[in-house]
Amino acid sequence: MNKSMFKLLFAGASLTVLAGCQSEGTTGGEAQELVVYSSRNEIFVGDLLDKFEEDTGIEVSALHGIEPLQIMEESGNVQADVFISNDIGSMEYLAREDLLRSTEPENVESIEAAYRAENNEWIALSSRARGFIYNKDMIDEADVPNRMEDLLENDYSDVPNGFAITRGGNGGMISNVSALRHEWGDERTREWVDAIQENAAGIFEGHGDIRRAVGEGVHAFGLVNNYYYHQQLMEPTDNNVGFVYTDQGEGEMGAIVNAAGVGLLANSPNPEAADIFLDWLMEEENQLAFVGESLEVPMNRDLEPPFEQAVRLDELQLQDMPLMELGNYFEDTRNLIEDAGLDLNLR
Amino acid sequence: MAEKKTADDHRRLKLPSMIRKYNRHLWNGNVPNVSLLLAAISVALVMSIPLIYVVYQSLTAGRASWLRLIGTRIPNLLWRTLSLATSVTIGSIVIGVGLAWLITRTDLPGRRIWRWLLAVPLVIPPYIGAVAYINILGPRGMLFRLLARLGSDQLNLSYNVFSFSGTLLVMTLFTYPYVFLITSSAFRKLSQTYDEAGKSMGRGAFYIFLKVNLPLILPAVGAGGVLAFLYVLGDFGAVSMMRYVTFTSAIFFQRVGFDIPSAAVLSLVLIALTVLVLIIEKALRRKKVFYQSSGTARDVRLLKLGWGKYPALFFVGGIFFLSVFLPVAVLIYWTVIAAGQGLIDSSFAGYMLNSFTIASFSALFSIILSVPILYLYSRNPSSVSNFIYKSSYTGYALPGVIVALGLVSLFNNHIPVLYHTVFLLIIAQVIRFMPQALQSGEAAINMISPRMDESARSLGYSTWKVIFYVTLPSMMPGLLAGGALVFVNTIRELPATLMLRPPGFETLAIRVYYHASEAMYAQAAPGALLIIIVSIIPLHLLLKNY
Repeated sequence: MNKSMFKLLFAGASLTVLAGCQSEGTTGGEAQELVVYSSRNEIFVGDLLDKFEEDTGIEVSALHGIEPLQIMEESGNVQADVFISNDIGSMEYLAREDLLRSTEPENVESIEAAYRAENNEWIALSSRARGFIYNKDMIDEADVPNRMEDLLENDYSDVPNGFAITRGGNGGMISNVSALRHEWGDERTREWVDAIQENAAGIFEGHGDIRRAVGEGVHAFGLVNNYYYHQQLMEPTDNNVGFVYTDQGEGEMGAIVNAAGVGLLANSPNPEAADIFLDWLMEEENQLAFVGESLEVPMNRDLEPPFEQAVRLDELQLQDMPLMELGNYFEDTRNLIEDAGLDLNLR
Repeated sequence: MAEKKTADDHRRLKLPSMIRKYNRHLWNGNVPNVSLLLAAISVALVMSIPLIYVVYQSLTAGRASWLRLIGTRIPNLLWRTLSLATSVTIGSIVIGVGLAWLITRTDLPGRRIWRWLLAVPLVIPPYIGAVAYINILGPRGMLFRLLARLGSDQLNLSYNVFSFSGTLLVMTLFTYPYVFLITSSAFRKLSQTYDEAGKSMGRGAFYIFLKVNLPLILPAVGAGGVLAFLYVLGDFGAVSMMRYVTFTSAIFFQRVGFDIPSAAVLSLVLIALTVLVLIIEKALRRKKVFYQSSGTARDVRLLKLGWGKYPALFFVGGIFFLSVFLPVAVLIYWTVIAAGQGLIDSSFAGYMLNSFTIASFSALFSIILSVPILYLYSRNPSSVSNFIYKSSYTGYALPGVIVALGLVSLFNNHIPVLYHTVFLLIIAQVIRFMPQALQSGEAAINMISPRMDESARSLGYSTWKVIFYVTLPSMMPGLLAGGALVFVNTIRELPATLMLRPPGFETLAIRVYYHASEAMYAQAAPGALLIIIVSIIPLHLLLKNY
């Protein structure tokens, strides 16, 4: 009996080892593969990568929701070919550290030069602007803050169920703080971070949580990117929400803008597949697929936004700062947020 | 023994006599085979390497990291973590001791069945329990909709499940079994004579419980409480689902931001906390001797609850309802919806295959690697083999995030070939869970008489031959039982898999975690249910430990 148990065990073991080897064989063989790191939510990127696999036959392995510093940490041991990010600040930062490589994909001119790195180390494909999503059943538009400074000057404690922000580790929040440092300097920005941390009724991991919470009436308003408002409008229920773009008055700083985009990693394991991906992505059909379910606004002006009522960038008063500038602030902004403790705060 | 000379003895003879003498003394005259010793040492080294590396990193983190963290972060995290762990422990003790007493010492109807049913929450990973409770109590959750359907239109949404109280509720419901099981077995060993003395004085059931039983089982309660406390210290999945930041989630956030020095510093504090609790546990276990009465084996006379059995049944049934029935029902509800929408598809099968593959390999490696350690520990007892055995438990005692953190930086910086491979993932699981194979293997090897080894060796078998042909076959049932526990724990494991998996490698646990955090419950439920079902299989093995 003991012998048969042995045999069974070894048979099982050798079988699994064999199966393991076989699957290794298929991935390491002729078929090309591509490793994608994405700091965006998987919901927004999954379909795009599936489409790429279907169109080209290249097998994609993706890691979603990663932080840009992972690429930094792995610089001696590069894992990924492509970095998809929702923050130009982090991409410009990585480009300056020579972790992203220069590219010249076809149709790159469809994106304005202001929305690309100097040698196309990164290319922005979709835009987002910061603002406040609010629940129309709970608060009048007039009572929703319309300047970033309002969060510093008013604690909104009289608003039923209060307001929501994301935790400071969130890429959107990091670039928001960078933009404020550019505008106000560090001291006032620090006060702003302290104020929102003190006064927010909810601090969430991501913006998706905020739009749902505001839609459901858990909080009256929340600081998000505009496309989360588009997403909540498309929900079958809990969709009585509005959106306020910030600092649109005369003499005010204008809306804080950021973009999602793509860059190719230097010294990556599959450079040819990465080039194929970038060329593929710059096709207009696929630029739209990049926007996908996120309902952002495409950077390419010739493309119709998937969300038709979307406000385009040129209809807004924008903060007077080249997106590239965000790269200068990236590192110190993280420190400022960590010192305030906002990166570890959830409620 | 003296007359037989194996190849090992010849090698040993070459050592200078002083060292040889010392060596014999160290091993109490029973010096092990060199290759066995080396094998055991290498396994123990691998098992403790995450700890060594994290401690090393925290000590080299630099003043700046330390100062920044000590000022604000560490006190805050200490408060959040300790207040939660203490509250959960108290909650678990109240529920666990109450249930244990009712089931072992009173005539509660159906007590034999309840004993099993109330241990079932052990198979529900707390992060899955958290998913269910977010579903029930969360904004627009099931309770909210139920109340809305009952007609109250103007509902107050003020209860926030993502709070201290929500986290406390969830963690307590899934950690009380630790206290319940240990206390039950203590109650069962407790002499009845004290109860009778109490009864003869005309005291009621509750008085006897409070004044007679409780003081005697206090050490067992303490041991169970320590387990619950340790669980909360190390848990990552449930607290992060509940959006409650403790040391583990802070370390996780720092590491995904690749602020490794800060993550290492926070880890060191958490390691210190864990060690402190383990020391307390050891002290408590030493005390345990006092309550065990070796009284005569006589029929247990149960206290009659009388009318009190109704509230008692309500309590017992209520705990079962909240900790088992309700969460499982919620998951079944969503699984049915998912099946209707065709969400249980080929990619789901892929996650399943990945989970089962790493779980099988982790179990297999745990079984194989535990053999040299067990053999050395049991056949060549000495301070060296004891140390090797104990250090193999580090990964088990430490929170999973710390094990993962150590491996991430170690492999990324020094062994890049294995970084982001399934193999590294399996190493991590073995480090975390192999001690369960050690535990059941130790019980098994101690049942085999060393005489058998000796007679085999006198026939000319080398140490390894003895292990393979004599010891291992008789140990196999025990090792396989341990392997089953490793398998189940790997299926449930979250933090190390999250931090170490290669791109594109998704497991059931990872998908449950992701979908639940995106409020996609229909997608999360089938995987969660499957994890629970797999965990039920070795439940009787878990119960045997108590």
